[in-house]
Amino acid sequence: MTERTERSEGREGMPGQHGMSATVDTKAPPARSGLLAVARAPGWVRYALLAVGLLVALWLPNGLYPAVAVDILCWALFAVSVDLLLGFTGLMSFGHAAFWGTSAYLTGLVAIHAGLPFPAAVLAGALGAALLALPIGYLAVKRTGIYFAMVTLAFAQMVYYVANEWRSVTQGENGLQGVPRAFFGADLTDDYYFYYAILPIVLLGLFAAWRIVHSPFGRVLVGIRDNPARARALGYPVHRYKLTAFVLSGFLAGLGGGLFAVGHRFVSLDVLHWTTSGKAVIVVVLGGIGTLWGGVLGAALVVRLEDWLSFSGFEAIGLVTGGIFVLVVLLFRRGLWGTVAHLLRRRGAARRE
Amino acid sequence: MAAASAAALLVAGCGGGGPQSGGDSKLTGDKIVLGVLNDQSGAYSELSGRNSVKAVEMAIADFKAEHGDDAVTKDITVETADHQNKPDVANSKAQEMYDRKGVDAILDVPTSSAALKVADVAKEKKKLYFNIGAATTDLTGKSCNRYTFHYAYDTYMLAHGTGTVTTEQVGKNWYILYPNYAFGQDMEKSFSTAIAAAGGTVVGKDGAPFPNTSGDYSSFLLKAPTLNPKPQVLGTMQAGAELVNVVKQYNEFKLREKGVGLAVGLMFITDIHSLTPDALAGTTYTDAWYWNFDQQNREWADRFQKETGTRPSFAHAANYSAAMQYLEAVQAAGTDDADAVVKQLEGKEVNDLFLRNGKIRAEDHRVVHDAYLAQVKPQAEVKEPWDYVKVLKTIPAAEAFRAPSADCKL
Repeated sequence: MTERTERSEGREGMPGQHGMSATVDTKAPPARSGLLAVARAPGWVRYALLAVGLLVALWLPNGLYPAVAVDILCWALFAVSVDLLLGFTGLMSFGHAAFWGTSAYLTGLVAIHAGLPFPAAVLAGALGAALLALPIGYLAVKRTGIYFAMVTLAFAQMVYYVANEWRSVTQGENGLQGVPRAFFGADLTDDYYFYYAILPIVLLGLFAAWRIVHSPFGRVLVGIRDNPARARALGYPVHRYKLTAFVLSGFLAGLGGGLFAVGHRFVSLDVLHWTTSGKAVIVVVLGGIGTLWGGVLGAALVVRLEDWLSFSGFEAIGLVTGGIFVLVVLLFRRGLWGTVAHLLRRRGAARRE
Repeated sequence: MAAASAAALLVAGCGGGGPQSGGDSKLTGDKIVLGVLNDQSGAYSELSGRNSVKAVEMAIADFKAEHGDDAVTKDITVETADHQNKPDVANSKAQEMYDRKGVDAILDVPTSSAALKVADVAKEKKKLYFNIGAATTDLTGKSCNRYTFHYAYDTYMLAHGTGTVTTEQVGKNWYILYPNYAFGQDMEKSFSTAIAAAGGTVVGKDGAPFPNTSGDYSSFLLKAPTLNPKPQVLGTMQAGAELVNVVKQYNEFKLREKGVGLAVGLMFITDIHSLTPDALAGTTYTDAWYWNFDQQNREWADRFQKETGTRPSFAHAANYSAAMQYLEAVQAAGTDDADAVVKQLEGKEVNDLFLRNGKIRAEDHRVVHDAYLAQVKPQAEVKEPWDYVKVLKTIPAAEAFRAPSADCKL
């Protein structure tokens, strides 16, 4: 920490160009970020991990029911968007369903009424979500901690009720049925092919998130997370940084939500329900806060687990997912990815000695 | 390579829809698989849930016993999944059931949004779906399709029966309290129409917030008896836990003593069981089936109780009946090809455990049957556990359901 702050002294608070380059020092190890711990691993380890990840992504619909694999991709984006705020900006959003769901509805409406190819509809949905994130974020980032969570939750609930009441557009309880999967005449009705159609979009989204946290901007976010007062003292417009992160996060959540809507070919009120926000947070905590890829892992596990449980004949699904959540929080406080990264790092450190 | 071979596998997995040419059996995989997709862990798990799986298993046993060696197959199994009342889960599970689990027909699926989605999946996969758990008339209206049948009940049936008979027999002036969302508003409209047609008046109506997290209905309930003219009937459209709150407060404010009777839009016997009959005594509602109505029902309910330890709700009986009618149709068609089975079912007139004077309408796939106007007994008159209601009137099948809607194009 000290290292980095010393290096940023020359900045003198220029709001116009808040130091995209001045403060960056990729060698500076941030205090808590598991992701950057992996980034510190030797090059071949990183490439091997990347290759394994890509192979798993390519193989997934062959090993899983493709509809479930599609859900995992969408939820991976959603989880990463939440982690961007929770893990890298220190803002716990409990209302991210607002962006996921708004984009789902917008995507559905655009796809139904404009008949655009699905990536265009999803993009429209994600942009709509980012637009919604602007006013909500503007008001919410003025608060931190539990108050921030409550404000985001309140706005998400407002969006939920608007969708519930605005029946002429959203079809209310019945849900928006019959969202098409148009793509220049290609037949994507089979989820297996649809998975591969959306995979590039999801990878692009994940890459964007990775770029964001590794950019100078992302480093400032981590700085704000760890010590907002110091960041402010150094001249960073903290609110504006947080707001930008919030809007970017809303966009990514929207990307996931739009794909989710096209994936299921319908949108129900569930996408805006607060339990959806809660599930996103659970996914991130399970995977590991502030690890980015942990969110992807968490999404895969939670979606797969819920799918498996609903066929298992076990009558208390909530008990199982809740129990696992409690166990992870008690025993693996860094989340699954975070714990593994931590162990690897400790072994690496031991070997060096 | 891997992707290509997997795609081939997938196509092989999906391609089993039509009847097999050649061979002795006309059944895919030489077997019939029924799928029960419903809520097994949430609000609707009591009234249908896993006990509906038991009911379907009973239907399979009865079918085998009835047809013996002539049965089209002896290999009939049940697949089941918990959709947790989430439409997106229902969507994935329905697809997986049809594609991977070899399910020929899906049964139940409560919650309108989930049911409409599953109907969509059935249409796309050209496999059958018998809805039992959802009440929306859209399933036989603008969202109807060739492969979807709507069993048991719908909002029209609930409102029409209770609205008409209560207006004729209890009182002409109504105050309607409904949860302010799609189901509640549909119910309010249907009730108002039925009440007006029976010569009654709705003197007041209010939409309560939904979900009503505070559980407070006092402002509505205190207002009801002060209206002019004073309502003789309070019609509540709340369901499940919200109904419980309305009824508790109705009793607290002693509205019955003030001359305001209670009519309920949707109630299951499991609701009466959890509220106790005294809390609801005198309430009228429309029931699709009642276990203690006659000897046939009772005998079946006894068997059901042996299997499950509880008395059946109408949803359980409807699941039994739908499974039975499907199997009979496959038997008659000699194949599980969905189109051939639909042809067998359409227009069929049926009398079975659940369907009395039943008919599977060809126009909109609404399964019509006699419905019952039921009244909850006070505890003193309850002779045995679960014997909570008396049937005031049988509503003939022709009157109980709406005429086929012009919106429905199969």
